[in-house]
Amino acid sequence: MASKVSFKGKGKAAAKGADERSAAKCMKEWSTWAMKKAKVITHYGFIPLIIVIGMNSEPKPQLYQLLSPV
Amino acid sequence: MGSNVRHTNEPQQPALGLAAVLPPKQDEKAEPAKVDWLNLPCPVPFEEIQREAFMSLKPELFEGLRFDFTKGLNQKFSLSHSVFMGSTELPSQSSDTIKVPTAHYEFGANFLDPKLMLVGRVLADGRLNARVKCDLTDNLTLKINAQLTNEPHFSQGMFNFDYKGKDYRTQFQIGNNAFYGANYIQSVSPHLSLGSEIFWLGQQRKSGIGFAARYNTDKMVATAQIASTGILALSYVQKVSEKVRNLLKFLENFNAQNLYSHKKFWHLQVSLASDFMYNHLTRDVTSSFGYDYILRQCRLRGKLDSNGVIAACLEERLNMGVNFILSAEVDHRKKDYKFGFGLTVGE
Repeated sequence: MASKVSFKGKGKAAAKGADERSAAKCMKEWSTWAMKKAKVITHYGFIPLIIVIGMNSEPKPQLYQLLSPV
Repeated sequence: MGSNVRHTNEPQQPALGLAAVLPPKQDEKAEPAKVDWLNLPCPVPFEEIQREAFMSLKPELFEGLRFDFTKGLNQKFSLSHSVFMGSTELPSQSSDTIKVPTAHYEFGANFLDPKLMLVGRVLADGRLNARVKCDLTDNLTLKINAQLTNEPHFSQGMFNFDYKGKDYRTQFQIGNNAFYGANYIQSVSPHLSLGSEIFWLGQQRKSGIGFAARYNTDKMVATAQIASTGILALSYVQKVSEKVRNLLKFLENFNAQNLYSHKKFWHLQVSLASDFMYNHLTRDVTSSFGYDYILRQCRLRGKLDSNGVIAACLEERLNMGVNFILSAEVDHRKKDYKFGFGLTVGE
């Protein structure tokens, strides 16, 4: 009896351990996915972000000044 | 007791003897001020401990043509276009130098605010170089530095959190490849500051610790750094300005015609720097000596190395906002000669 109880206890612990491991794995996969998306967004969006912030700062520059060399 | 009485009487005595005849000494050697140990100045950041030495000894040398154009749209916002045509050196294991001819165009945008600084540079092949500096509060600063490429696994990024205290500074760094670092620097006297740093590289399971000291006065800066990676680095920078200017003025009066063209020497600031580096693991010893002349119209930097390298870099101001740059590096040991020229337009 005692051995049966202990065997069941071990099975439950093993199941819990597997749950925790898969939860950690899930977190790691999601965080890797999030980092990849963040990297792509930064890569394409950083310079446009600076330009948008700059064009909205005071005194507001005109749009043609972005392209003309004067 | 007697000595104490004499000490307090001294300032009240009228000037006697020779002191009455000679003019009072100029304030060059003022009475040493009493040190206020509770109000020490804030030290320089840990990574800038050798800033003065690097300015003289590591100028931006390049090979080929360089053209930079910076267009300001606003006090805070500017765009920059940069063209480079020349050779870049590839790191090689053997003693031969491998040079690859490259040409690229780089577009950049800068936004500079007292509280927020955004700098981005993108090359034509898609590599992005981004720097962000944000003052979260009066004392806490966040700095982000990233190089992003299209190729996977080649991008790098680093987050730095800086905290500035009354007479100390501390920094915490998080980088990619599980890099964690921290450093701390404290002023222990009005001239001396001591600091230390630790770092941990996750991917290679390496860690290190280092210590640094910096002693500076108005005229000189001396630093020492030692790290558990087996590197010892010492540097010394001396500023020479007033005396040299007086000497040149004297020479000009003496031989007015020849030296009239050297009018630009009147505003002169000279720094002399020397540097010593010892790497225990590779048994590599390097020492270098350099100078930095800041004149009104130009800036000339040069250095001489124990590896047989002589380098010089000249930035001459031709007109308001137009700078002409010349760079030369001659490596006698490897027989590698690099010469470059360029023009910088805009602030």
